[in-house]
Amino acid sequence: MRKSFLDVGRVNSERLFARRFILLLTALSILSLLLITRLYYLQVISYEHFDTLSETNRIKYIPTPPRRGIIYDRNNIVLADNSSLYSIEINLNEAKDIKRILDSVNKEISLTAKEIKIFHKKKLKYSHHNSIILKSNLTESEIAKVLAIQYKHDGLDISASLLREYPYKKITSHVLGHIGYIDKRDLSTLDKKKYQNSKYTGKTGIEKYYENKLHGIPGYKHVEINARGRQVRDLDEKSAIPGKDIYLTIDIELQKYMYSRFQGYTGSSVAINPKNGEILGMISAPAVDPNQKLWKLDLDQEQATKLKSPMFNRATHGLYSPGSTIKPVMALNGLHRNIVSASQEFYAGPFFQLPNNSRRFRDWKPKGHGIVDLEKSIIQSCDVYFYMLANNLGIDKISSFLKYFSFGGKTGLDMPYESPGVLPTKKWKLKNIGTNWTDGDTVITGIGQGYFLTTPIQLAYATSIIANKGTIVIPKLNKDSKPIKSKEILAKEDFLKNIINLKDWDAITNAMYKVVNQQNGTAYWTTKNKKNNISGKTGTVQVYELSQETDIRSKENLPDHLKDHSLYIGFAPKENPTIVIATVIENVGSGSKYAAPISNDIINYYLDKIREKNDE
Amino acid sequence: MMNNRILGITDFLLFSMIFLISAFGLILLYSATNQDIDVVIKQGTKLAFCFVLMLLIASININKLKLLTPYIYLLCLMLLMVTLFWGHDSKGAKRWILFYGFSLQVSEILKIIVPMMLAWYISNYEDKEIEFKKLIISFIIVFIPIAFIVKQPDLGTSLIILLCGLITLFLSGVRNQHIKYLIGLFLIVTPLMWKFFLLPYQKQRILTLIEPASDPLGSGYHIIQSKIAVGSGGFFGKGFLNGTQSQLEFLPERGTDFIFAVFAEEFGFLGILILFLFYLAIIIRCINIAIRAKKYYSKILAGSITSIFILLILTNISMTIGLLPVVGVTLPLLSLGGSSLLSVFIAFGIMFSINRRN
Repeated sequence: MRKSFLDVGRVNSERLFARRFILLLTALSILSLLLITRLYYLQVISYEHFDTLSETNRIKYIPTPPRRGIIYDRNNIVLADNSSLYSIEINLNEAKDIKRILDSVNKEISLTAKEIKIFHKKKLKYSHHNSIILKSNLTESEIAKVLAIQYKHDGLDISASLLREYPYKKITSHVLGHIGYIDKRDLSTLDKKKYQNSKYTGKTGIEKYYENKLHGIPGYKHVEINARGRQVRDLDEKSAIPGKDIYLTIDIELQKYMYSRFQGYTGSSVAINPKNGEILGMISAPAVDPNQKLWKLDLDQEQATKLKSPMFNRATHGLYSPGSTIKPVMALNGLHRNIVSASQEFYAGPFFQLPNNSRRFRDWKPKGHGIVDLEKSIIQSCDVYFYMLANNLGIDKISSFLKYFSFGGKTGLDMPYESPGVLPTKKWKLKNIGTNWTDGDTVITGIGQGYFLTTPIQLAYATSIIANKGTIVIPKLNKDSKPIKSKEILAKEDFLKNIINLKDWDAITNAMYKVVNQQNGTAYWTTKNKKNNISGKTGTVQVYELSQETDIRSKENLPDHLKDHSLYIGFAPKENPTIVIATVIENVGSGSKYAAPISNDIINYYLDKIREKNDE
Repeated sequence: MMNNRILGITDFLLFSMIFLISAFGLILLYSATNQDIDVVIKQGTKLAFCFVLMLLIASININKLKLLTPYIYLLCLMLLMVTLFWGHDSKGAKRWILFYGFSLQVSEILKIIVPMMLAWYISNYEDKEIEFKKLIISFIIVFIPIAFIVKQPDLGTSLIILLCGLITLFLSGVRNQHIKYLIGLFLIVTPLMWKFFLLPYQKQRILTLIEPASDPLGSGYHIIQSKIAVGSGGFFGKGFLNGTQSQLEFLPERGTDFIFAVFAEEFGFLGILILFLFYLAIIIRCINIAIRAKKYYSKILAGSITSIFILLILTNISMTIGLLPVVGVTLPLLSLGGSSLLSVFIAFGIMFSINRRN
């Protein structure tokens, strides 16, 4: 191996020093050049990257959530409002001695051991957050006490967040719906930009349907923060645009009265002004207080079944056979098709039988009604007459006619969900039941039983068409909404108003008037107040079919859940009606005994107390 | 060249550069401390004291200094012992001696005293080779203070002192063969040190260096924030007092270890190049002094001081931009702190003294 040039004797120490010094300086120079290259890379080549990082470090984007729109009733009474929820927060970056803060807060407003324990847990878990909530839902006196000691402690804050409040609680719960925490499913439909700092969104009812209007547009604030997260100065700001207020067509006084009449009952009632489609009152019982729902995501299953699913809005979702309330429409169909004439008389015995069939379709009246015409059949709700009529019409003509009243379709109400019900057709049965349509199916459709299912809102809507003698008005809950009639609706209206004779409309509305105002009417005794000229029709829907041979219609001994549903449709006054009602009460008994008196009371209450007051 | 024997300033350019950089250091400190004028005044006072000390040392004959060297070395060892037993405890480490409100970190001074002692020892045998026995004694000279400093514990400073010692030994002519042995020994000892000797936090510092993102809020935080500060400075910098990373306190240890990041953020790449030119002027003057030194002691010492000065600058900047672990090396002439300043100014005092004899 060659002897290294560095390995020289001590005699040449000076030269050795010089060489080594140069070697060392060369090495250090190379390192310096590498360092300068690195600095060039960081500051010139990667400048954009680090500039962004430094900006994200110092600039904090704070979205400011908008105030949610307030919901009012038709008389500007608040139905859904925002209230503030105050909490004590401790800012971990600013707090110097957390224990001292806790002690002095505890001295002012006693904290429970649990609250302190939870706070410490959160502190560990969310140490990356600036502020941790110590206690929420403060009362006014608690806020005052904490504010009084706030100056002594850095990092002790009181924060406010908005909370939705429904002052009428259960009474309006199904109409208004409620808001709830935004969940994953909501996120897929909501505009993420608009909701980035929102906690809640409308889940059901008006709150959901008008979410876009009610929510508003969030604003933001750019602030400069230091390393400890403290805001140093504001950079720019765009204030939030509050959500729009909504004025409903609901009259809270009527709504309150309607709900009060449903104490202890399960069911629904819908009242509409037939002139403009405004829903005056819409209730579904039972109901739950929506104010509590903000805190709990859902009622547990047991409670829900015990309360007969209070979350379920029966007005738009409850599917019921219309029963005898459909008879006026059936009669109109018969008149229109010239199957019967108004004056034509028939003998109605205790039952109806199809040729070559032993099945007896019984009348509700064990002995039968004897000689009846169309009017008497409606007034006394003769089943046999409508069995015959339906049999003569045939199911195709029945279902095509029911379509004009929008059965089997949505009414267009401004609610997020609405069941279309079931329109009985041959096709429907084959598809959904799997068997062919029989004549027997047609016969019971004549009295609104069998496969035919409607919702209370559909019944109210159909009743408003009857009250208007063919004019269709789309129901609405928002006073400012102007539903546009589709071509399909306009075609239906044209048929109902122009093709059907006015005298046929008169025939059925006169009969409905006599149901309430003639002594032998099924709803005669249901209201003593006759001056409002109520027209109506009762309905009793069998939930449980008694044996063919049993002609005892008394069902008092049946268990509750097999008892008949009680139905009623009505409108008043007879000329120029201003209120239409449809009521269903589940598993109580006949229509004339429950739904009719309650509905007529509601109509009278509206016309006597509210309309009068409004007119003043 | 100016030759002012009364004040001991024998190299006016060198003196002006030192003065300019340290004066600028005070201005930079004003920014790094969020415009805390009190800190700046305090540092200014220390700086003035250091200048006086530097001139004092400069006026001492270098031969007298040489004779004093072993006593100074022994005094430092005693002070290290004092530090260990009666030192000021901060964050679990005893590194400072406090007296009359002043704190002294003796280990900082040893960065210059150890090379001095080695130069003294080796220059006494000027005409002989460094044989094995001499090498061992040299290493004992280096490792006695290191043992005290490791005990404090302060591994970073220990390593730097070791490096300073090695530079002096290298310059004073250790045999090539011995250098090979030393490299071999280093390769064997390093993995063993990692396994048995390093404390977890020290390992973490080194690991963080390899991947700072692995612990962005812990040990990696300093490195990440410092790199952001340097990088976001860009070519022209954000301007004096406008460095957001510094002013909003995202940058840790702004006055001391990370002062370079403050500088880089506010003055940019251009500023760095100008700063380097100033440093380069100092270095060239020092090289000049070393080459022209007549005595072997002076030559080795001047060469060592020059090299160590460069090494400290490189180490501090590498630390700031995440190329080396955070070992607590300050940036000469710019960083806040008394002891490191003291050692730098002692070193320059010696340089002036050497130059006087040239």
